[in-house]
Amino acid sequence: MKSFARKYSVNLFRPKSAYMKGEVLAMLFILVLWGVAAFGFQLWLRLSAGPSGKSWLESFTFFNLPFHYWFTAQMLPLWFIIICALFNVFIDRLTGKDSRRREDYHD
Amino acid sequence: MIDAGQKTVPLLMVAGVLLLFVIAGLLYKTREHSEYGLTGRYTGRIGGGAAIASNWMSAASFLGIAGLIYLYGYAALAYVIGWTGGYVLLLVLLAGQLRRFGKYTAPDFIGERYESSAARLISALISITITLIYSIAQFKGIGLIFAWLLGIDYSKGVIIGAAVLMAYIAISGEMGVARSQKLQYFVLMVTFILPLMFLAYRLGYFWLLPQFGYGKAVTALATEFSIDIAAPFSGFGLFHWTALCFTLMFGTAGLPHVLSRFYTVPNVRDARWSVVWGLFFIALIYWSAPAYAVFGKLLEARAGMFFPPETAYKMADTVVLRTALLGGLPVWLIGMLAAGAVSAAFFTVAGLLMTGAASISYDIYYRLINPQASETRRMAVAKGATLVLALAVLLAALNPPGLIAEIAAVAFALAGNTIFPSFLLGIWWSGTNRYGAIAGMLTGIAITFAQPLAGGFMPVINTLFPLTASSLCGAPIVIAVMILVSRFTTPPSEEIQRFLAEEVHGEQQ
Repeated sequence: MKSFARKYSVNLFRPKSAYMKGEVLAMLFILVLWGVAAFGFQLWLRLSAGPSGKSWLESFTFFNLPFHYWFTAQMLPLWFIIICALFNVFIDRLTGKDSRRREDYHD
Repeated sequence: MIDAGQKTVPLLMVAGVLLLFVIAGLLYKTREHSEYGLTGRYTGRIGGGAAIASNWMSAASFLGIAGLIYLYGYAALAYVIGWTGGYVLLLVLLAGQLRRFGKYTAPDFIGERYESSAARLISALISITITLIYSIAQFKGIGLIFAWLLGIDYSKGVIIGAAVLMAYIAISGEMGVARSQKLQYFVLMVTFILPLMFLAYRLGYFWLLPQFGYGKAVTALATEFSIDIAAPFSGFGLFHWTALCFTLMFGTAGLPHVLSRFYTVPNVRDARWSVVWGLFFIALIYWSAPAYAVFGKLLEARAGMFFPPETAYKMADTVVLRTALLGGLPVWLIGMLAAGAVSAAFFTVAGLLMTGAASISYDIYYRLINPQASETRRMAVAKGATLVLALAVLLAALNPPGLIAEIAAVAFALAGNTIFPSFLLGIWWSGTNRYGAIAGMLTGIAITFAQPLAGGFMPVINTLFPLTASSLCGAPIVIAVMILVSRFTTPPSEEIQRFLAEEVHGEQQ
C-alpha cells in the first residue's frame, strides 16, 4: 500500500475525524429508525397473523383506517419526514461545533 | 375508452394550463439564467423543496400509484413507501457529500470520481436508458389522457400527445421559457387534491382532509361488498413487497434527474433541508393518491361494475380519471385533473429528455468524441438527440409493456443496481477504483435485465431478481463486485483520494 492511501483513506466503517464519526453515528441511528419502521413493521404484521390469517394489528381502526393500513400508508411517510428533520438538526449542530469554515462552503 | 366523444372544456383547460406555464416562464426568464434545464431560481429551502417535488411528480405519481392500489390494495403501498423512504437514503447517505463533491449529473460524478472515460460512457448510457424507460411510462400516461380528451383510441392518443409535447418543448426552448417549479408544484397539488375533496364531499365523507376521510370508504367496501383493500400482502407476498420497496428506495437515491436537483441549492445546509421539504410536498400527494383508488372501487361496486382481473389491469392506469367521472364531478374539475396529469407527465419528460440529451451531447459527444466542438454544435447535437430519444420512446409507448408505475419501477431498478452503488461506494470508500465501478455497473445491468433474458430457463432468477424489484438482492451483489475488483486492482490516484478526504469529507487540520 502506498502511504497516501493510508493518509487519505475514507472508509464508512473507519471514520477518522471527530466530524465524520458524528456523521456516521447519525447515519446509522437514522437508518435503524428507517429500517425498523419500514420493514420491521411489515415483518411484525406478517408474524402476528393468527390462524385466521389476520393479525390483531388489522383488527382496530385509527383515523378511520385499519391500523396497519394507516401505519403504512400515512404514518411511514410522515415518519420519514421526521427522521430526515432529526438528521438535519443533528448534522447542523455537529457542523456548528466543528467549524465555521464549512458554512457557505460553496459560493 | 372510458367514455366516448371529444371533451371541449377539459381540452381548453389542458391548453390553458400549458399556456399558463409558458407565460409564467417568460415572466421569470428575465430574472433567471437557465441552461440544460438543470438550473432554476433559488428561492430558499421551501422553494428548493418545491423544486424537488415538482421535478419528482410524474404520471407515475399522478395516475400510477392510484392504479396500483386499485389493483393490489395494501401490497401496492410498497410503491408509496419506496418512493418516500428513498429520500431518507438519499439525504443520509449522499446529499451533503454529493453537494460538496460538486458534480451533479451521474456521468459527470462517475467520470470525475473514477477518473475514467469508460466509466463515464457506461454511466451515460445507463442514464440514457433510465431516461428512455421512465419516459415510456410518462408517454403511456400522456397517451391515455389525450385519448380520453379527444375521444380516440390509445395509439392515436399517444402519437398526438407526443406531437403536442415535442411542440411544447420546442416552443419553450426557442422562447427560452424558464421552469418555475414552485408554480408547477402548486398547480399539481391543487389539480390533484381539489377534485379529491369534491369527491369525498359527494360521497359524504370528511372532505376537508380526504386523506383521512377515505378511511370510511375502506370500511364501506369491506362491509358492503366484502372487498378488503387493506388485506396485507394479498397482491404479492412479504418477500416481493420488501424487494420492491428496497428497489424503489435504492433507485430514488440513484435516479440521475433526482440527484441533479442539488445543483440549484447554494450551500450544503440548505441542500439538506430542501430534501425534507421536498419529501413533505411529495408525501402530500402520496397520502392522497390511495383515496382515488378506494373511492373508484367503491363507486364501481355501487354501480354494480365488477371486472375480471385482466380487464381491471388494463383499466387501472385510468382509475383517477374514471373515479372523477363516476363521482359525477363538474366538467371543469375533471378538466383540471386532466390538466394536472398532462403537466406532471410533460414536465417530467421534458426534464428527462433534456438530461438524456445533455448526456449524449456533453458526456458522449463533447467529452469522448469531439472535444473541440463549439457551443452551438453541442446544442445542435442536444436538440437532435432530444428528437431521436422522443421517437424511440414513442415507438415503445405505442404498445406499453405494463402499468405506468411498473414501467417506472424498472427504471428505478436499473438506477438502484448501477448508479446507486457507484455513488455510495464512490463517496464512502476511497478505495473504490474505476475497474471496480465498471465491473459493478456491468453486473448491475445484467442483474436488472436478468429476468426477461434468462428467467425462462432459470426460474430462481424470477424470484430473486424480478424485473421491477431486482435491487434488494442485486445492489448488494454489485457492491460486493465493486469492492472485490477494487481490492485486486490498482487503487485510485492520490489526487482523487485527497479530494475525497479533504473536500468531500472535510477532514479539518
